[in-house]
Amino acid sequence: MEAPKFVWEGAIPLQIHLHESQVTTLPPPPPALILAPRIGYLPLLAPLIKPYFSSTLPPGVDTIWFDYNGLPLKWYIPTGVLFDLLCPEPERPWNITVHFRGYPGSVLIPCEGEDSVKWSFINSLKEAAYIMNGNCKNVMNMSQSDQLELWHSVMNGNLEAYQRVSSKLKLATVDDEYASLCLQKSQQSVIETDLPAQAKTGRVPVRLYVLSVSKDFDDLDEIPRVDSWEKISYINRPVEIRKEDKCFTLHDALKILLPELFLDESLMNVKLGGVDLEDAVRNSNEDVTSDKVVEDQGQNACKRPEACRISSSAEIKLIRIQGIEPKLEIPFSWVANNLLNPDYFLHVCVCVKVAQ
Amino acid sequence: MSREVLAREAINHAFKALKKRHLIEEGAHAPAYIALSRPIISQGSEWKEKAENLEMELQQCYKAQSRLSEQLVVEVAESRALKASLQEKEMAIAELEKELNQTRDECSQLKTDLEEKIRALELLMVEHQELKAQLEQMAIKAKNAEAENKMLVDRWMLQKMQDAERLNEANALYEDMIERLKASGLEKLAREQVDGIVRRSEDGAEFFAESTVPSVCSHRINAHEGGCASILFEYNSGKLISGGQDRSVKMWDTASSSNNLFVWDVSSGRIRHTLTGHTDKVCAVDVSKVSSRHVVSAAYDRTIKVWDLQKGYCTNTIIFHSNCNALCFSTDGLTICSGHVDGNLRLWDIRTGKLLSEVAAHSLPITSISLSRNGNVVLTSGRDNVHNLFDVRSLEACGTFKATGNRVASNWSRSCISPDDNYIAAGSADGSICIWSISKADIVSTLKEHTAPVLSCTWSGLGKPLASADKNGIVCTWT
Repeated sequence: MEAPKFVWEGAIPLQIHLHESQVTTLPPPPPALILAPRIGYLPLLAPLIKPYFSSTLPPGVDTIWFDYNGLPLKWYIPTGVLFDLLCPEPERPWNITVHFRGYPGSVLIPCEGEDSVKWSFINSLKEAAYIMNGNCKNVMNMSQSDQLELWHSVMNGNLEAYQRVSSKLKLATVDDEYASLCLQKSQQSVIETDLPAQAKTGRVPVRLYVLSVSKDFDDLDEIPRVDSWEKISYINRPVEIRKEDKCFTLHDALKILLPELFLDESLMNVKLGGVDLEDAVRNSNEDVTSDKVVEDQGQNACKRPEACRISSSAEIKLIRIQGIEPKLEIPFSWVANNLLNPDYFLHVCVCVKVAQ
Repeated sequence: MSREVLAREAINHAFKALKKRHLIEEGAHAPAYIALSRPIISQGSEWKEKAENLEMELQQCYKAQSRLSEQLVVEVAESRALKASLQEKEMAIAELEKELNQTRDECSQLKTDLEEKIRALELLMVEHQELKAQLEQMAIKAKNAEAENKMLVDRWMLQKMQDAERLNEANALYEDMIERLKASGLEKLAREQVDGIVRRSEDGAEFFAESTVPSVCSHRINAHEGGCASILFEYNSGKLISGGQDRSVKMWDTASSSNNLFVWDVSSGRIRHTLTGHTDKVCAVDVSKVSSRHVVSAAYDRTIKVWDLQKGYCTNTIIFHSNCNALCFSTDGLTICSGHVDGNLRLWDIRTGKLLSEVAAHSLPITSISLSRNGNVVLTSGRDNVHNLFDVRSLEACGTFKATGNRVASNWSRSCISPDDNYIAAGSADGSICIWSISKADIVSTLKEHTAPVLSCTWSGLGKPLASADKNGIVCTWT
């Protein structure tokens, strides 16, 4: 089975509890057991949840929102990403609480149901198109019916329909010589010749979620609960893969994304956010030699790819993409092509231990 | 190449991780969850389907409702209109009913009237028939009557004609006789007096009136107090005018029995003319026979004045030494005869006032002058108790009359000649009136009635009566 298929079929078992303030009947209703698609969004589950609790809800207008252990969940983050981020030790089923009243406008941006989610998705798609092509004409010129079809395919988890529509967009994909590894040898040559001429450099849109932990831990379930979004830093930075860079690994990408974690003491003053891509590339070039050393080290230590002691100050404890923790040696191009979300973004969750 | 190997290994590892995850997450939980959610989902989908169906129905219902409401509006409007028209119709019906009742009443009324009229008509027709029959009868009667009438009228006309013829015959005979009588009369007269006849036939023949000798006193009138000095008959009528001492002139109608009394008071001036001029009493007046314009008067101031009544003043004054007692106009109105105190009769021309002729008539004053009817002879009476007749033209005496016992009463006693110039009447002092016949030259009769001396006698122009007045103021008429 192809990786995208795994990705699209991925679903998280949720045990959704109705918040006690919303319970008007005795006994309180049992939690709803819902399978939420990883690539979907929480507000889209509202029609599935409501039937469970409609009889017990107090009268009034419903505005649905979720929280996990008191932390209101941001609805524009795909469900899988939320799970990966907030449950370092995966909790299956994931116990979250649903609210229908009292929307926390100070924490969450307003959500008016399916339409808000759809527009957010389309927006991300445009962003991705811009990053990849330099403009988002192809998304904006998409016909109404195509847009609807795309969105419905996402909602319903219909990969074929999605691939049908998205292929019209002609969003440049990253050249991946390792794609042949998944396919039969007979198709290999076909794929190679069919791939369109790529630009010299391919940019991969990445959304990076960094959970900062102050204390060191050995087991994942020792990670303290996230009780505020301030503990999570959100980095929206594209990764550029140069064509001549064979074996651009995830590790390399991370170095670009989080250069401060891979710095020598001499380069500790590099700015966060808004870092120039070329700088990042230079940095990665400079660090190539050290990389090799690291890789060699890492090769041995890749049995536990999570623990990469790069610098003494910060330590990446955990990297999760689509619910799996890939090895750092994994070619980033493969990652970029197979572990994408429908909005053409690569959502990466990282847990970093930051020294005090 | 180790890198590639590493990469491949990493990819495989990733695959395995994905599979594992799949198994743990959805692989493990999916069936249970799906089984649990099936009823909910199906319910949900059921509800969804129901909701959709209901929505569609609702939409349809809305459409239908809108259609129906449109229809309803239309229907309501129609019904209102119909109601209104119905009301109108009802009202119209009520009115028509009323009208119908009225007309029915009228109709019945008319019917009864008609019946009455028919009856009346029949009655009238019957009457008409009867009347027709009557009319026919009447017509026949009328016809008959007409025929009779015609016949009678013819007969009467015939009678009348016969009468007329007889009358004509009678008239013719009468005329014949008259003619013969006239002729014989004229012959008789012609034999009697040649002069008189010639004169009478010349002029005054028309005035010829037979006068009889009066014998009987028919009236006695107390005319004046204090005496009536003068009486005169109005010319050719029965009216007697008397003047008395009481200064009044009275007019008497002797012909009729009524006394139409016209009194003129001389002094008051009610008379038409008051002629002043004489300085002494007026003793004689005479009016011209030709025109009543000229009046002549004599007074004791030795003057004779001629007056023109139209002009109202004296046109001529004749002065003579001897007072005139009596005056008389001639028939032609140009000459005056006057009798004077010296006993002379004089003739004057009034236009020139010249003396024409004079004659000694009496030895004593003349008391009266009267002209005969034909104007040729004048009678004079004097105090010598003699009455003379003079011819006016020649002034020769034609006759003399006297009688014993006849004494002229006063200086102004008047005597007169009868209209047919046959008789002379004169009053005497003893109250008797003597009448002489001129032709016989002898006294014919003496009338005695008056108790006082008779002052004046006058003969009516008609021949009768004769009137006389005495000093007591009594007037007697004699026929």
